[in-house]
Amino acid sequence: MKLQLTINGAEDEIEILAPAPACQFRWGGAERAASVEMAEPGVYSILLEGHSYDARVERTARALVVVIDGYRFEIDVRDPRRWSHKGRGRAGEGVETLVAPMPGKVVRVLVAPGDVVEAGQGILVVEAMKMQNELKASRAGRVAAVHASEGATVAAGEALATIG
Amino acid sequence: MFRKILIANRGEIAVRVIRALREMGIGAVAVYSDADRTSLHVRMADEAEHVGPAPSGESYLRIDRILDAARKHGAEAIHPGYGFLSENAEFAAACEDAGLVFIGPSAASIRAMGSKTEARQNAVSAGTPVVPGTDHGVNLEEARAFGRSHGYPILLKAVAGGGGKGMRSVLREAELEPAFRNAASEAERAFRSPEIYVEKLIERPRHIEVQLLGDRQGNMVHLGERECSIQRRHQKVVEESPSPLVALHPEMRQAMGEAAIRVARAAGYYNAGTVEFLVDQERRFYFLEMNTRLQVEHPVTELVTGLDLVKLQIEIAAGARLPFAQEQIAWRGSAIECRIYAEDPYNDFLPSPGKITRLHRPLGPGIRLDGCVYAGWTVPLEYDPLLAKLAVWGGTREEATARMLRALREYDIGGIRTNLGFFRQILEDEEFRAGRLHTGFIEGFFARHRPPVPPPGLAAVAALAAALDHMTSAAPPPPVSSGARPWLAAGREELLR
Repeated sequence: MKLQLTINGAEDEIEILAPAPACQFRWGGAERAASVEMAEPGVYSILLEGHSYDARVERTARALVVVIDGYRFEIDVRDPRRWSHKGRGRAGEGVETLVAPMPGKVVRVLVAPGDVVEAGQGILVVEAMKMQNELKASRAGRVAAVHASEGATVAAGEALATIG
Repeated sequence: MFRKILIANRGEIAVRVIRALREMGIGAVAVYSDADRTSLHVRMADEAEHVGPAPSGESYLRIDRILDAARKHGAEAIHPGYGFLSENAEFAAACEDAGLVFIGPSAASIRAMGSKTEARQNAVSAGTPVVPGTDHGVNLEEARAFGRSHGYPILLKAVAGGGGKGMRSVLREAELEPAFRNAASEAERAFRSPEIYVEKLIERPRHIEVQLLGDRQGNMVHLGERECSIQRRHQKVVEESPSPLVALHPEMRQAMGEAAIRVARAAGYYNAGTVEFLVDQERRFYFLEMNTRLQVEHPVTELVTGLDLVKLQIEIAAGARLPFAQEQIAWRGSAIECRIYAEDPYNDFLPSPGKITRLHRPLGPGIRLDGCVYAGWTVPLEYDPLLAKLAVWGGTREEATARMLRALREYDIGGIRTNLGFFRQILEDEEFRAGRLHTGFIEGFFARHRPPVPPPGLAAVAALAAALDHMTSAAPPPPVSSGARPWLAAGREELLR
């Protein structure tokens, strides 16, 4: 199967021709073979062209994060045959949902439902470990809903406000 | 010797003290807030007592609750760790009043070293150099005279001030007059007092500190120095012993050690303590302050001296004499420590609390790990995000550096962002390798450093892992089992579509 990837912001494509453990895949125009085993939960041991790698995979709110040898790859994987992934998260159109980038406490809500906001306007202030971080709207619009109240503890990825 | 000790702290230092107590056969009583019920120090202790809600002002800083917990559990002494109540003279006095031994210096010593001016006076009277300054408000003419006698650059500071307001560095005399006027008017606006005092500006200083240990009978030794010049936001992140500068100029160790002992003696000091110095480019050192407690970075001293500072603290508090004299202390090899934080160094060191999903610790020769982390633990939002201190020992600084790089590569903490990768970049930095350290090191590092670029070919491995993981994402998380590969079956299904 063919998958479209965005790796640290750059577009790419991979085709899996045979599954693990004796994996065949096409990458960068060449067909390649790799031995792949899940050694621990979330950790793949990959042998590719004589080299050994441990790839640690984590799912975050935004993308898959793969860490190899301390190098971090943020990867968005899309199956071109599925339409549901297309066009999500684009700034400047549709509905924007503001999510908590990390767990913390909502110390201030700067807007109320119905308010008209500018792109870049502060919406909420979230505190984690004594540091306050203002979350801003990425687009102009009207605040459709505020999902968190002042004093609430929020998890990473939790929806805080919707701007329509 | 004590039979039971309460640790008035949390996190890695509470774990460190519990380890010493266990080796000594002494019972360990932990205290915890609502946020720490499942923290490692509570799980490792023999006994534990709840002392309040998550905010430290309502729990770890509540002297009354800590003392109640000690009485309830029959503890005979209290180890304060670092931070929280460790440098609180009132707490030290309250322990003694309650008939409990405070494992540290006397309340009077804590008080004397807690006041900047009193500590500075102490140092001056002990004949230990301090950063030259006027200590009191001056007019423009007096400032000019100071600049001429001590040389430029100088620093103008508000007498009533703090936080950089009313502060100006002056590089040459021509800049003095306007700078003085600006500083005075800024001080007037900020603190309603235009008074300005003058200090010599130490350019690119090193932060080098001396570990002291003294008993209640009046014996005191120094255990050599630690260099802690690598700091972010005035907080140390890499510490080492010996200092690369002192290693080149071994006579500095004795000179700084003796100066530190003189300052501590002037304050009637006993137990463990650290005297911090600034060192200028001509290798002159100046007293900065004394920390009247165990330091975060004490493991590097333990690694090069072979001593256990926490055990020695406890023995001294129980009335024992120092078991060695200065000339019996020997230093061997080189030790480096990195403070592993839950933070994102490439995003302004933004804290990154959360649940630790995966943990793989470095092991093997020369590694020491003091931490409070386990897989499945959620790093609380309320406290300092220090996860662990990774320390290594090597025969030489080169070996210690290579070993630290090896350990950092083995270390994997999943689920949160950490500064592990950042340390790899620092330890590979040429300036670090050359031992050319100063307190502005990290700013300089970011200025000359580019974020690491993965070697070519690694993206293919990452893409493969992401693709295979994506194909299993519909399936539940796979169990740990070498034979079963549910993601593989899911992958096959995908391939058949």
